Amino acid sequence: MKVAHGRIVRRIMPATVAVAIVAACCVSFAQVAVRDSRRAARLPAAVTTTPDSPAMDVAPVDAGRRSAVRDQARAIDRLVANGLEKAGMTPSPPLDDAHFVRRIHLDLAGRIPTHAETAAFLGDTAVDKRDALIERLLASPDYVSHFYNHWADVLRLADRPQRNLVLEPYLAWVKDSIRTNVPYDDWVREMLTADGRSWENPAAGYQLRDDGMPLPYVDNTVRVFLGTQIGCAQCHNHPFDDWTQHQFYELAAFTAGTKTRVGTRRTPVPGKEPRTLPPPAARQLVKEARETKGRKAGAIAQFIQANVTAVSYRDIALRLPRDYQYDDAKPLDEVSPKLLWGEVPSEAGRTDGREQFAEWVVARDNRQFARTVANRMWKALMGVGIVEPIDDFRPENPPSDAALLEGLTDLVLDLDFDLREFVRVVVSTSAYQRQAVVHDPSAEPFRFPGPALRRMTAEQIWDSIVGLIAHNPWSVQRPTVDEVADVAGFDIDTATIDDVERQFDAFVQRFGPNRRERDLAVTCGYQGIWLMKASEMPSPLPLGHFLRQFGQSDRETIDGARSVPTIPQILAMLNGPVTHAVLDEGTVIHETIVAQDPEDVVDAVFLTILSRRPTADERDVAREEVLATADPATGCGNVIWALLNTREFLFVE
Amino acid sequence: MSHSPFHADDSIARRAFLGRAARAAFGITLLDGVAGQVARGATTDADGVNIIYLMMKGAMSHIDTFDPKPGREEQGETNAIGTAVSGVQFGEHVPKLAGMADRLAVIRSMTTETGAHEQGTYLMRTSYPQLNSIRHPAFGAWAVHALGKRAGDLPGYVLVGNGNEHPGCGFFDPALTPVPIADPQRGLENIRRPSYLTQANFDRRLALADRLDRDFRTRHAGRQIESYDRMYADAVQLMGSSDLAAFDLSREDAASRGRYGQSRFGQGCLLARRLVESGVRCVEVEMGGWDMHRDLWDDLPKRAGELDAAMAALLDDLQARGLLASTLVVLATEFGRSPKVNENAGRDHHPGVFSCVLAGAGVKPGVVHGASDKAGRLPDRDGVGVGDFNATIAAAAGIPWEREFIAPNGRPFRIGNEGKPIADVLA
Repeated sequence: MKVAHGRIVRRIMPATVAVAIVAACCVSFAQVAVRDSRRAARLPAAVTTTPDSPAMDVAPVDAGRRSAVRDQARAIDRLVANGLEKAGMTPSPPLDDAHFVRRIHLDLAGRIPTHAETAAFLGDTAVDKRDALIERLLASPDYVSHFYNHWADVLRLADRPQRNLVLEPYLAWVKDSIRTNVPYDDWVREMLTADGRSWENPAAGYQLRDDGMPLPYVDNTVRVFLGTQIGCAQCHNHPFDDWTQHQFYELAAFTAGTKTRVGTRRTPVPGKEPRTLPPPAARQLVKEARETKGRKAGAIAQFIQANVTAVSYRDIALRLPRDYQYDDAKPLDEVSPKLLWGEVPSEAGRTDGREQFAEWVVARDNRQFARTVANRMWKALMGVGIVEPIDDFRPENPPSDAALLEGLTDLVLDLDFDLREFVRVVVSTSAYQRQAVVHDPSAEPFRFPGPALRRMTAEQIWDSIVGLIAHNPWSVQRPTVDEVADVAGFDIDTATIDDVERQFDAFVQRFGPNRRERDLAVTCGYQGIWLMKASEMPSPLPLGHFLRQFGQSDRETIDGARSVPTIPQILAMLNGPVTHAVLDEGTVIHETIVAQDPEDVVDAVFLTILSRRPTADERDVAREEVLATADPATGCGNVIWALLNTREFLFVE
Repeated sequence: MSHSPFHADDSIARRAFLGRAARAAFGITLLDGVAGQVARGATTDADGVNIIYLMMKGAMSHIDTFDPKPGREEQGETNAIGTAVSGVQFGEHVPKLAGMADRLAVIRSMTTETGAHEQGTYLMRTSYPQLNSIRHPAFGAWAVHALGKRAGDLPGYVLVGNGNEHPGCGFFDPALTPVPIADPQRGLENIRRPSYLTQANFDRRLALADRLDRDFRTRHAGRQIESYDRMYADAVQLMGSSDLAAFDLSREDAASRGRYGQSRFGQGCLLARRLVESGVRCVEVEMGGWDMHRDLWDDLPKRAGELDAAMAALLDDLQARGLLASTLVVLATEFGRSPKVNENAGRDHHPGVFSCVLAGAGVKPGVVHGASDKAGRLPDRDGVGVGDFNATIAAAAGIPWEREFIAPNGRPFRIGNEGKPIADVLA
C-alpha cells in the first residue's frame, strides 16, 4: 500500500473522524491491497497536465448587452406567465445557486461544474454573478463542444457515411461555425448552396451527406430547418397529411440539378449498370491503379472516387415517378419547381433553382425557419418543445402556447439569427431559473412552470465523468479542414498514378482505417477508454461504446439520441471501466479531495459530484461509511461510487 | 474484506437498516430473491412459443431476395435460382434459404404506405404509426407481456443491435424493455464486478447509493425515475444469475460459430439460439446496411450472403435441437426497394410491395403467400398489411391477437392493430 501523503499527515488532526477521512484520501479510492495489476496504470501525461491556453479561441460575448438581454428575458417571462395563468397553473419555485450552477454548466458547457467552479460561484456575493457566469460559459470551448454535440445529432454528422465520402472537414466546419458564432441563416444558406469537395468547401458536406439520395435530401432539409415532415409524400398522398406527392416533387424540382459526383450523367440502360460516369481522367487512373498497384488497387480506386465526389449544380428538369398514380398529372411528366408555401425572395429571383430554394428556406419572411429553430433551442434548454415533436409542425399538432412560440420566433429575428444570444436570453429568464418539474408526455400540454426534469444526454454524462478524471480533456481535437486537405486531394486532370499513390499513402498514414482510434489510444487512452471530449471523438462511435449505451445517436437518424434506461447502461455504471477510473490515483477528484481540509472532505465529494453540499443526514451517513470501513480509502471511494450511481447524478434537476 | 454489514462485526441495527435500504432501492432485494420474482410479474414455465425476429434495417430489396422477376429489366444484375419448392424462385444470393424453402412461409405481398425508415421500422415493430403522445410497445414486449417471462433470471426480451430507435416496452412495464447487446461476440459487457471489488463491498455501495439518493427520488417521483430504479434492480439481479453463460459465445465450438458466419449478424443469430435455449422468450437480431441507394450490386452479395448463412444455420440448429416446433423465426424489413434501378445503380425506397418470411412454430412450411405484380411494384393479390403480419406472428406464437389492452391514454390497442392473421401461412 502506498505511504500516506506527507503534507496532510503532518497536519494536526482535529478529531478522529478527520484522521480517518484524511487517511482515506491519501491512497486511491479503490481497494489498493486487492486491486488487480491491470489497474495500477497511470493516467496518460497528456490528460494530467493543464494547458496554459484554452483549447480554442471562442467569439467573445458582448457584456454591454446585459441590460438588453434582461429586457428580452422579461418579455419572454411575461409570455410564460400568461400561459401559466390561462392554464391555472403556478410556476415552480426559483432555483437556488447550487442547482443553478450545475444546470447552467450542463446546459451551456455540457458538463457538471468542477469543485473549484462550484465553490467560487457559491462563495461569490456579487448580485450579477449569474449573468457573469452565463457570459463566461458562452465564450468557452466547452460551449462549442456542447452545441457541436447538439448539431451533430441533428445533422447526422458522421466522419465517413459512405466509403467514398470523407466528411471530417465538414464536421470541423460545423464546430468552427459554432466557435465563431456564425448567424444561423448564413450558416444554413451556405450549407444548402456550397459547391466542391468537402476539404475545399466543407459546407458542401451537408449536401454530400445525402449523396445519391436527392429526394430524401429534400425531406431531411425540410424536416430539420422547417420543422415539417413531407417524407411520406415522397411515395404517395397520405390521407391525413397536408402534402401530396405532386407537391413533394414540385419542391424537389428546385434542387434536382444538384450533383454530388463529378462526371456525366448517363441514362440508364436496361440490365446495365447506370450511373454518373466519372470523368475520363479518373477512369484512366482507376484503370492504371488496377493494372499496377496490386493489393492496394481497390483502396486507391476508392481514394480516386472520393476525389470525384463533389457538389455542383446545373438546372435540370425533374420528372414524376414511373408509378405516379394520381389524376393531377401523368407518370414521367416534367415537374415545375413550386414552394410549399410563400414565395422566393425577390432578390433571388434570377438565380438558379438551388439558390432560390436556399433563399426561401432562410428568408426572414419565412417565419417557419426562425420558428423551428426557436422551438428547437427552447427544447434544448427547457426539456420540452412548444411543438412536439420539434420536426412535426402542422395544423393538427398545434403549439402548447402559440403566443410564447411567436414571441421566441420574434426574438430569433430581432437577434438576427444569433443563436448564442438567443440561448443567453432564454437562460436569463426566470422561467429557466426555476426548479425542474416532472413532465408526463401523455398528460396535458406542458406550460413551462419550470424546465422539465430530464436525464443528461450521453455526452453530458461522458464529459462530466471524464471531467472527474482528466485534468485536461482537450488533449486531442477532431481533425481540421486543413489537416485533411493536405493529404486528401489531388488534381484529377494532372496527377499521374504514382502521384495519386503518394498522396494516398499520406492520407492513409493520417486518416486510414482505425488510424485515429490508434492515435487516440496512445495519446489519451486509459483502461480501454479515451479520456477526451465526446465532441472530438470519431463518429459514429461503435454500438458498445459508453456514449452509445447511454443513447448517443448512430448519426443516421435526425435527432436520434435517446435517454431511456437500459441494462447495459447500468452495468457500465456499476462495473465498467469509466466509473472505476474515477476512483484511481491522480484523477481530478482524487487530487481535489487530497487538497481539502480534513473536515471538508465529505462536503467536497458532494460538491464535486452533485454540485451541492450534503444535508446533515447525508453528511453523517457518508462520514460513518468512511469510519466503518477498515480501509478508509475504500470507504471514501464507496461514497464517490455511490453518488455516481444515484439518479440525482444522472438527471438535470 | 470482512467489514460488510451483511457478514461481519456490524451491529444488528445497521444490518436491518441496510436491508431496508436495499429493498427500497431495488424492488427485488439483494437478500431475498423470491420476493423479487413476485414483484416482477407473472413467470411461466418453459412452455409457450419463443420468437426470434430478424430485422433487416434499411429496407431489404424484395426483387433481389425472395421475389425475383427473371427476364424483366427490373431484375438488374441478380439472377433467379430454383428452390426446394417447385415453381418458386429466389435471388441467387440466398442459395441456402432457397434450399430450405420447403421449411419457410414466404409472404410476397407485404404492403405499407410508409417510405421513411424511422416511421417504417416503428410501424413494423408496433403495428401503429409513430405519434408524439404515446409510445407503443414493440412486438417482443407484447409477447413477453402475453406469454410471460420464462423461468430463470434471464430477461424476457433481448435485442442484438441498436436500442435507440427501438420502441421497446412502449406503454407497458419498463421491465419489458429489451436488453440491448451491442456486440454478440462480447455478450453482456460489464456483467461482473471489477476483480478488486468484493461482493460485500459492492452490496454496501448499492445500499449507500440508495440512501444518498432518497431525497432526490422522493422529490421527482414519476415514471422517468422509476424506470431507472427498476433498471438498476434488474441489472443487479442479472449480475447474480446462474444463466449468464447463455451470453457467452466462446462456449460454442468453432465449427458451429463458423456455420452462422463471422458477421455480427451471424453471431447475433447464434446468440439468439443460445438465449432462447436458456429461457429468453424473445430475441430480435438487427442487420443494417440494406439501404442500397447506389451501387447495389457491390453490397448486396455480401449482405444477402450473411443473411443466408445465418438464417439457414439458425433454422438447421433449431430443428436439430428439437426447438423449431416451439420457436417462431421471423424475417422482416420496413419496406421494399424500387423495381426501377436508379441512375446510381441502386434502388430507392419502395413501400408498395415487399417480402417477409416466417418459419418454425405455428407456421405452415413450404408456402408462398400473395404475389407482387410482374414488375414487383404492387401486390397482385392477397395484399398483407403490417398489422396483418403482426397478427399472424401473434397467432403463430399463441398470443391472443384479438385481445385489447388499454393504454394510459385510455385507448384500446391490439398487437396487430386492425390486422387479422393470414390463415394461409398458419399450421
